Amino acid sequence: MGLEINRRTFLGGLAAAAIPARATVTTPTAPVAIAKCKTYAESLPVITKLMDQLGGLGKIVKNKTVVIKINFTGGPTTRLGYLSQARTYWTNPNHLGAMITLLDKAGARRIHIAEGADSPFVSLEEWMYKASWDVAALKNAGPRVDFVNTNIAYPGSKPYSRFKVPNGGHLFPAYDLNTVFEESDVLISMTKAKEHTTAGVTISMKNLFGMTPNCIYGSGAGGDEPLKMPKGGRQQILHGGRGQPPKSSLPELDPNSSRQDTYRIPRCIADINAARPYQLAVIDAVESMSGGEGPWSPGARPCSPGFVFAGTNGVTMDAVGMALMGFDPMAERGTVPFEDGDSALKLAEELGVGTRDLKRIEVIGVPIAEAKFDYRAVPGGVYRRGQPRQGQPGQFPGRGNQPAQPGQIPGRG
Amino acid sequence: MAMALPDSIPMRWQSGPLELATRQKKEGFTAQAGQALQYWHTPAALDIVQGSPVNCLVISWAAGLAEDAEQQRTIRPLVDAARQRKLDVVGWVDGKADNNASIGAAQAAGLTAVAIQGFTGKSDFPVLAWGDRAHAPWTSTAPVLPVTDNVWPGVAGGRPDATAGPTALPWLDSNGWFLQVARARTQTPLWIVFDPPGKGEVVPARSYQTAVCDVEIGGGRWVISLDDAFRAGLAAKEAAAKDAWTGLASAVAFFVKHPEWKAYKSLGAIAVVSDFAGENYDFSGEIVNALTRRDLLCRVLCDTGKELPALTGVKTVLRADTAAPSAPIRKSLLAYVEQGGFLVAASKWGSEGKSIPGASADFDVRTLGKGRIAVAKEDTSDPWDFVTKAQAHLSHADDVAKLFNASASGGFTYENSPDGKRALLQLLSYSNYGGGGRGGGGGRGPNAAGGAPASVPLSSLATAWTRHKYRGAQLWTLEAGAATKVELAPCEDGGTEYHLPSMSAYLALDFEV
Repeated sequence: MGLEINRRTFLGGLAAAAIPARATVTTPTAPVAIAKCKTYAESLPVITKLMDQLGGLGKIVKNKTVVIKINFTGGPTTRLGYLSQARTYWTNPNHLGAMITLLDKAGARRIHIAEGADSPFVSLEEWMYKASWDVAALKNAGPRVDFVNTNIAYPGSKPYSRFKVPNGGHLFPAYDLNTVFEESDVLISMTKAKEHTTAGVTISMKNLFGMTPNCIYGSGAGGDEPLKMPKGGRQQILHGGRGQPPKSSLPELDPNSSRQDTYRIPRCIADINAARPYQLAVIDAVESMSGGEGPWSPGARPCSPGFVFAGTNGVTMDAVGMALMGFDPMAERGTVPFEDGDSALKLAEELGVGTRDLKRIEVIGVPIAEAKFDYRAVPGGVYRRGQPRQGQPGQFPGRGNQPAQPGQIPGRG
Repeated sequence: MAMALPDSIPMRWQSGPLELATRQKKEGFTAQAGQALQYWHTPAALDIVQGSPVNCLVISWAAGLAEDAEQQRTIRPLVDAARQRKLDVVGWVDGKADNNASIGAAQAAGLTAVAIQGFTGKSDFPVLAWGDRAHAPWTSTAPVLPVTDNVWPGVAGGRPDATAGPTALPWLDSNGWFLQVARARTQTPLWIVFDPPGKGEVVPARSYQTAVCDVEIGGGRWVISLDDAFRAGLAAKEAAAKDAWTGLASAVAFFVKHPEWKAYKSLGAIAVVSDFAGENYDFSGEIVNALTRRDLLCRVLCDTGKELPALTGVKTVLRADTAAPSAPIRKSLLAYVEQGGFLVAASKWGSEGKSIPGASADFDVRTLGKGRIAVAKEDTSDPWDFVTKAQAHLSHADDVAKLFNASASGGFTYENSPDGKRALLQLLSYSNYGGGGRGGGGGRGPNAAGGAPASVPLSSLATAWTRHKYRGAQLWTLEAGAATKVELAPCEDGGTEYHLPSMSAYLALDFEV
């Protein structure tokens, strides 16, 4: 079985089909491979197996420039209890290192590691150092590895590139992103599967929301041109619609639309995934958290789902991911886990990105039912001052501070 | 009276006709403030500091105004009463006052000393030469060095960039960076002079503790100065004002018990080397400030034209002075590089080393011996720009300490004792959240009801990480009378992590090496 589509054929197919906006069409599908993974020591063999199951990494990356969008939401010194970001809500460096190794073996020409790091850290490496990552280990995982802070301009004559949303888009007609995302042939999404207080879930597609540069879509942006350095996060423009990007970028489609973040963020996620779809995603749920996307989320608590999955289509990946997390990917607004907002999966499906219908998605490897972990059933919580202590602070429920054995975590199937 | 000014606790004692004459012209001056100035001119006002660590009054003595003589005449009862209470009294001379006349009058009145701006003359009577930051009389032989032009520490308020400075984080006003520079330039104890925000603002009680800690952590001593409403409240014996005073005094008393901490030196892995003279003071001083804002702990080494001390533990030296260094400094730094160190320098550093093509867009990076030198391709007039460009070379990879889940704090220092047997991590909150307002509900903080400063919860399970593993650690706070045990936290990254409890203005981890 080969990888079904890549970016160019996908976009070409869209153009040829001339899919009208929000029409009911047969949306693309793509397989998703699932593997159990108990600890990050298994990252390399597990991801190797997933790539083989998807038809081999070489088919997609050989002689290509690759950009891996990792996820560093929050700050580098903000942890869930005593547990590191890598174990709870960030991309895990073991997974990233394994992926770099495999990309190198598969013949990738160049590998960019990309994420938006806010000032004052400036460089992505500094963000990693601050969080106690071993940057040298990542650089040594393969040659030709560099780090790109996508919140600021890409070095060179073209700092930002415009990505139009096929079929018009939900929120913006196009997004101006760091040029690394245009220069790269292959975009890989690597993050954790988590719940999200605004978007319901954050899996492979929500990670791409962070591609929007804060110099353009961050608080304090505006005026004529992008800022040289970001002044704040995306709350003002993208989350709340309390302002427009600079005139050098296109304004949102309907400034009279809802300003609710539960309306805007899912649409923005769908738009970006249609405008710049990824070619591969490797999603980590070896260790993660439930209750939200970061330690700041109410009810945030660590968990050990113990699986990893990979695929090539944003919607099919997130549909399988939702099922693995104990949710229904066909869920509508007002139902679990979209109690407060819209489903980005549904909105992306409307844009023709992919299908969320599990019946149309081929699952390879471990069946969903065997790997499924109910995020909402994670008991306990992290000790917070002023509240009764439940268990030991910052520990994974039921297993001390070590990676879980399957079945040890209450609520696990 | 024996003069022990180096160990004294000074307090700016604003009172009398001279203060009244100058203050009446300023915005926000009230009749209540005027009455307070008159009350503080009387011996009865000394009861306010009775039982507190304050043992030195810095009174208004001369300003070159017509009221000088009246001030000096009417303050005599206060001075006499202060002497009976074994308090030192320093006369503050400002403006265009006649220095010789001021000295003579002070001697006749029995003052301990006078403080005169930029004084370089000779006098049998003790004179403390003072100056602003940029013009401090570093070579003064007086027992203490008062420095003005300092900032009221806290989250910058009333500035256009109050919520987002160049860092995109709330900008903090702190005297820490200046004290690092000052301590590198002089061994003389520093009196840091600054007043609370003006325009009649009521300052939360908690801010006074922050002011004390901000200076003490840096190794200086604040010349305590109260705002109008505070003085009036104390004069009227208001309970909220008395509580606030007790909080301030307890903060001072805490540091009085730990005089040895002032001799501790930074353990930062970055060293800033400069002569801090003229333009270099502005530029390299601001670099120290900028590094602090990025949680990059640094040491400050003053280029005195002599060879530098051993740079043990220093991973990167930053020398931004645009002029070529003196021969001894060049020799020291080249030896440091050849032994494996890394030097970031301004463009006129020199040509030593072998260039690494394409190593940096902004620096010519060269290898030399076991180390490297990065020479700026062109100089900038913006220190923030310099630090930004140098950031990749001033890495957090070399951090020796860091905080997790402690975003409620404002900054920290990490130092060790001269004998290397102890280390100290001091953490200060600049937030006024729950900060204990004062003065009949006039406080500006969320807790304006008065009373003791409230505890500020750190964001979650806060910890302090140190690369070094210590034999033992104990926790100090302003509130606890004795050190307490520190709980260790799980640590995944090597080193050691210590649990940080809720804090008010300040806490310290005291390590046994």
